[in-house]
Amino acid sequence: MIWPNCLNKGAFGLFCCILILFGSSTWNVMLAQDDLLSMLDEEQSKDPVYTMATFKASRLINGQTIETISKNHLNFWISHRFGAVNSGFIANFFGLDEAKIRLGLEYGFTDRWLVGAGRSSLEKTYDLYTKYKVLRQSNKIPITVTALAGWGINTMPSGYVMESGSTMKFNNNIERYSYWSQLLIARKFTEKLSLQVMPTFIHVNKVEDPSIPNQLYALGGGGRYKLSQRFTLSAEYYHTFRELEDDEDDDDGGGNAAFPYPYRDAVSFGVDIETGGHVFQFHLTNARGMVEKQFIGQNVGSWGKGDVFYGFNIARTFSLDKSARNTHK
Amino acid sequence: MKTKLIFLSLALMLITGLVSAQSLYRTSVGELSFFSETPVLDIEAVNQKTGAILNVGTKELAIQAKITDFQFPNKLMQEHFNENYMESERFPTAKFAGKIKEQVDLTKAGTYSVTAEGNLTIHGVTKPVQVKGTIVATATALQVNFSFQVRTADYQIEVPTLVFDKIAETITVSGKLNLVKQ
Repeated sequence: MIWPNCLNKGAFGLFCCILILFGSSTWNVMLAQDDLLSMLDEEQSKDPVYTMATFKASRLINGQTIETISKNHLNFWISHRFGAVNSGFIANFFGLDEAKIRLGLEYGFTDRWLVGAGRSSLEKTYDLYTKYKVLRQSNKIPITVTALAGWGINTMPSGYVMESGSTMKFNNNIERYSYWSQLLIARKFTEKLSLQVMPTFIHVNKVEDPSIPNQLYALGGGGRYKLSQRFTLSAEYYHTFRELEDDEDDDDGGGNAAFPYPYRDAVSFGVDIETGGHVFQFHLTNARGMVEKQFIGQNVGSWGKGDVFYGFNIARTFSLDKSARNTHK
Repeated sequence: MKTKLIFLSLALMLITGLVSAQSLYRTSVGELSFFSETPVLDIEAVNQKTGAILNVGTKELAIQAKITDFQFPNKLMQEHFNENYMESERFPTAKFAGKIKEQVDLTKAGTYSVTAEGNLTIHGVTKPVQVKGTIVATATALQVNFSFQVRTADYQIEVPTLVFDKIAETITVSGKLNLVKQ
């Protein structure tokens, strides 16, 4: 009954009718295009969006980051820590005459699980570790959590002199072992800023002096700030909580007059430069070790005394994923 | 009177809306790939979760792909693609909204050469484009194939000189969309 009513009003009504119909149909067309897109958007926005690249690499400076590497990818790490900056120009060319080297490999068994191994020239230590990404930051979860467990073996001859000046004697191979575990918790706050905390536990089977605990708890903090797409500033700090042993001579927190506690917290600053398949990390640190047990638990360098080491890490990633390469051929 | 007119137009809009809803062809697993070729390095990535809808009544076409869904053989390259070039956290999708220019009846089985005209949005930059392609129509599905060139500079995608992933200035984008009648 609507239609004849409309016509009965004559030419003006008809004109209005046509105008509105015409208007509504063009509006309908425009609406439809946006509609189609919003239908697609609605469907696609159901999947969680995972945060990627919280850090540039699987290492921040000395320690690890929450990042694992992708399935069937291999990372090759070359790390150097030169001598102390304060070791003199003639004697040591400001430290560049000597270097401690760690060579490492990491392999991603899945996108969330990697296994790594390395060999450091410092205390001729071999290390093995595994990392698993337990939680991934996304638009639904605020943080990424990665668990890490590692093992190391010191292969120096028994009776060698440690960096702290003590002599270390091993009676058997078990005494050469050390273990560490970490929970790495990070959040990418903005495109530029990511922060990470690292509660850490280290156990060393044999220490050089009874005043030094075998168990060590530490809390690390670190982060990165991207200056540009390829340059990143980073910092890392590990604070150690020495267990107050109930030994008779232990009234000053782990040391005594005859044997002052020789180790200090590691503080490091660095720059990451990313060039395609490589990440270069240059840094200044008071830690010379590149294995958790060394740079967290047995670090002798002090910023205050000028024991600062230049160092670099280079990471090269190789894709061994042949299947992905062939999917589209 | 006026209210009746409004009702009438609303009813008509609703009807046209219903009509067009019946002639929708759609996919959420379309394949969109791109290829960059330089003497140093060939880079190829495939997105197999591309969404597309075609309305055969109005011949309107919409395609949307999430940037993070593009899979590279080298995942580090994938990370760089998202983080450095496409900035996928800021610009999560690439999309096209447009219309098929030719007067073709896609409800009839056959192979049609068509041109889609509309707006392409990549990296937050929208440009009018014309894309040529073919549509193979069957009773229940439309197989849409197309290929076109994209200049990275047009979409403000910065390709720095200090990288080992050599990227071509012009990238070939191709799509295979198997749209199913709804």
